Amino acid sequence: MRAGLGLLGLLAAFAAAAPWLAALLGHDPFAPDLFNRFAPPSAAHPLGTDELGRDLLLRLAHGARVSLAVGLAAALAATLIGTLVGLLAAWRGGWLDAVLMRLADGLLALPALPLLVILAALDPAAVGLPRGEALADVLRLSLLLAAFGWVGVARLVRAGALSLLARDYVRAARALGVSEARLLWRHVLPGLAAPIAIATALAVGGAILAESALSFLGLGIAPPAPSWGNMLANAQELVFQAPLAALWPGLAILLAVLGCNLVADAISRGR
Amino acid sequence: MIRLLAARLGQIALVTALLSFAAFLLIGLMPGDPIEIAIAGDPRLSSEDAARLRALHGLDQPLWARYLAWAGGVLEGRFGHSRLFALPVAALLWPALIGTLELLGLALLVAGVCGVALGALAALRPRLGPLVQGFALFAQAVPAFWLGMLLIILFAVHLGWLPAGGSEGGWRALVLPVATLAFANLAAYARHGAAALSAALEEPHIRTARAKGAGERRVLLRHALPNAAVPLLTVAALDAGALVSGALIAETVFARPGMGKLIYDAVMGSDFNLALIALLVVAVVTMLATLAADLAQRWLDPRIA
Amino acid sequence: MGRLLLALLLLAAPALAQPRETLTIGITQYPSTLHPNIENMVAKSYVLGFARRPVTAHDADWRLVCLLCEELPSLENGLAQRETTPDGRPGLRVTWVLREGLRWGDGTPVTTEDLRLTWEAGREAATGMGPAEFYRSAYEFIAEGPRRFTLRFDRVTFEFASLGDFAPLPAHLERARWQADPRGYRSRTLYDTEPTHPGLWNGPYRVAQVQPGAAITLERNPHWSGPAPQFRRITVRTVENTPTLEAQLLAGQIDMIAGELGLPVEQAAALIRRTGARFRAEFRPGLIYEHLDLNLDLPALRDRRVRQALLLGLDRAQIVARLFEGRQTVAHSSVNPLDWPHDPEVRQYPFDPARAAALLAEAGWTPGPDGIRRNAAGERLSFELMTTAGNRSREAVQQVIQAQWRAIGVEARIRNEPPRVLFGETLSRRRFQGAVLFAWVSAPEGVPRSALHSSEIPSAERNWSGQNYTGFRHAEMDAILEALPVELDREARRALWRRLQAIYAEELPALPLWFRQDAHIWPPWLEGVRPTGHLNPSSLWAEHWRAR
Repeated sequence: MRAGLGLLGLLAAFAAAAPWLAALLGHDPFAPDLFNRFAPPSAAHPLGTDELGRDLLLRLAHGARVSLAVGLAAALAATLIGTLVGLLAAWRGGWLDAVLMRLADGLLALPALPLLVILAALDPAAVGLPRGEALADVLRLSLLLAAFGWVGVARLVRAGALSLLARDYVRAARALGVSEARLLWRHVLPGLAAPIAIATALAVGGAILAESALSFLGLGIAPPAPSWGNMLANAQELVFQAPLAALWPGLAILLAVLGCNLVADAISRGR
Repeated sequence: MIRLLAARLGQIALVTALLSFAAFLLIGLMPGDPIEIAIAGDPRLSSEDAARLRALHGLDQPLWARYLAWAGGVLEGRFGHSRLFALPVAALLWPALIGTLELLGLALLVAGVCGVALGALAALRPRLGPLVQGFALFAQAVPAFWLGMLLIILFAVHLGWLPAGGSEGGWRALVLPVATLAFANLAAYARHGAAALSAALEEPHIRTARAKGAGERRVLLRHALPNAAVPLLTVAALDAGALVSGALIAETVFARPGMGKLIYDAVMGSDFNLALIALLVVAVVTMLATLAADLAQRWLDPRIA
Repeated sequence: MGRLLLALLLLAAPALAQPRETLTIGITQYPSTLHPNIENMVAKSYVLGFARRPVTAHDADWRLVCLLCEELPSLENGLAQRETTPDGRPGLRVTWVLREGLRWGDGTPVTTEDLRLTWEAGREAATGMGPAEFYRSAYEFIAEGPRRFTLRFDRVTFEFASLGDFAPLPAHLERARWQADPRGYRSRTLYDTEPTHPGLWNGPYRVAQVQPGAAITLERNPHWSGPAPQFRRITVRTVENTPTLEAQLLAGQIDMIAGELGLPVEQAAALIRRTGARFRAEFRPGLIYEHLDLNLDLPALRDRRVRQALLLGLDRAQIVARLFEGRQTVAHSSVNPLDWPHDPEVRQYPFDPARAAALLAEAGWTPGPDGIRRNAAGERLSFELMTTAGNRSREAVQQVIQAQWRAIGVEARIRNEPPRVLFGETLSRRRFQGAVLFAWVSAPEGVPRSALHSSEIPSAERNWSGQNYTGFRHAEMDAILEALPVELDREARRALWRRLQAIYAEELPALPLWFRQDAHIWPPWLEGVRPTGHLNPSSLWAEHWRAR
């Protein structure tokens, strides 16, 4: 747990420190410098520069903002939808439960990436989102990933809620005339904290990985905004010219996902 | 059992129908029909050419009419023509499906065997447990295309032992894609395998077997593994979708013909008929695989039913 | 001992004696169809170049030559004659004679009947061939025997001797299929249903095997009457991802990478630098014109001084030197310096930020507090800069352009779209709010009518056809574009071309960037490949390729 949170905290601090780092190193990670392409690591550029002569460390920090934002936004959206659906299914039961869970089964059995490839190629303007803006990109990707991510949460929440609803203290509360909303909010939800936390942590890691895969396929965050995924995809095209450039964003993704998995793992072991 | 099977098959049919409808509508909202793209690429296409070609391809019809015509055709087994490859869609699907199943089957086998072996190691030698757990966490966190690229650089370029991609060269062309795909999926088997085997080793009948003097290896292979098979099948069922997603990445990185690459190429080349049908085929196959794993699970462990 | 020696000899023999018999080529695109007249893409032209020959083509020196005919028709040799069409317009009557001994791969002679089929299929709307302009203009086909044919055109054009895509289709195989159902011909043609049928091919090679999306294998055509090709088998393999393509080259899975559809120049240059003598690279300047189309309907960009300032603010020479290792040709207009109509005296815009700033100030744009210029009304000089999303090289260039314009007080907001959306909607419906970075591919001495004539501005009434995306209207340019095609005298054309370039460089409806070069990567033992740099690929001369 400590290792996982430490890793994530470190990455978050790195993302937050991007402007200070830029001031410290004294250059703009968005301004190309054609005379300084593929520079090796140096005091001015601790990790060297990319194909346009921009500082890799600073771009990595800015990329952390985008990638972590996509991961968090997608995971939170997925958790929200999943918790609501799971609670609703467990509480109402009957045909609603059946329909919702069959829907979840159906989605779970679908291969996500081929579907995401088709969905990501859709025109954002057709669903009312502006095209090509970085923020809209983050939003679009988060929604797409959440559309698939909620299923796992919903199943965990439903199973947990079902067992909680059958507990004596919940029945007692009901018998005492506690309103249903209050019952769910005060008595059921707190008991679900652990499974929800696990699912969220896993979803963050999953979303970061999915974003990098979509960026690799050219369907993720669009340049010039850096994300770990598109930095990696970019470096992948230049892998023979600058193999090191592919190392850092890959490592960052690895560490972020590892951090999330460690946290989830620790919670599930109750440590 | 029969009722369950019928219900699940019905569910698959319903999901497929809904998916086809939703995807067709979404794709219909996309800008840039094939004719507009052809105009942009060929200055000699005139206004008359555009109108003529659009009518010829049925693009002047409303969206719902196109969906009904398309779905009717698919139901009758007419999958239509791929604009991108200029071949009947059916002729493209078969080799691609075979290629993907070959890749998936091998990757599943490798992931399963290695994963279970690691799991067994963790179960038998509890001191190695954290190491295996750590490795599993690490394996899950590695982006697959990054790993694929690193493998290409190492084994194809620097060492020259294996081909960098393509489908020529028989088994040698399969090594790297299978390794990439298996690595990402091996973690789940290692973790669940370790848990299931440790649990199985605690069961009374295994203690009995041990007490009777059966060797450790025999206990593991004959008694514990069959017990652990059920949770592992659950993992396989849940992971079918993820495995197919991984196949798309592996096929793209290694330029290997298959369903994943077919869908990707079709989307990139605006060949939506092909993309849709290939997606539906992949979805149906994945759902059937999930169903098969579920049924096998019930058959092995009647308690679940 | 004797036995050992024998074994050694046996081991060594293949390496010593056997000449190379196979060639594996990597390209980055897979041909969507193998039918010569349906759809138009580089990968298809490249593969078909081995297996099928058009009547005429432009060669590596950008001259029109005969491939299947005996001599090019001209007014001087009498094979072309001016005449009047039945409805009284000036027209042409042009005759070609096919070479003797031409055969399809199944032994059937190539005759004028094969050309008649192409002509009839092209004139039939339901066939679904792409551009039908040629077939509308060629209103009569006259076969004068099995090898001699004449076409009558209802207009005059200096390109009359070129038959372009108008090439024989094997009538003995395809006529019945086409006639039975012209509408369904697109999906029933043997070229796609049975591409390995030898009778479809009349080049030095025929298609022997097709792996959709992955590879096409060609083998020698026994009925080819030209010089015998050396390689017994040529495999053209498609790998879209360029690093993977490079990896396959380094791993020895492919022998060469075709420049027509190969590595970006900078990747190729780096590859050669790293691998030394293992490969040979030839950089061939081509007719791919990278430029920035400006939307002239925007008030700021309507001002010619602003457009000139934008070009003066770009250090194109530096971009080419740094990003492309000098392997692009800086453009001064849409005419390539290697094309004969090019005028070396055309106005040039070397990097000059001071002059750019002066021009912008003159146009009323003065520096604002945030470094971006404003006009009297307080509007910022800011517009969108778009290109095709996913094209790494263009996205890099775009970010440099953004930075260089910022230095002269112009804000370019980057917004990219996938090619399908960009070309299918934003450009063709003229919805872009600023500048778009993309390329034109043309033929030698191609008249840029569709990009510059005021009647070619896309609109709903025109079914959104036409490529004058900038909305450029210039009466003299229109007149030149109309006069050029019908002027048969080369020197008279030269004067028109000179004027065209002068107007282009003065008005700058689009900002010229550079002409792309193709990077051909060959093994050292390969000889005789002559890159062309235009739409007729080097494979049209594959029978001259040799291995040392």
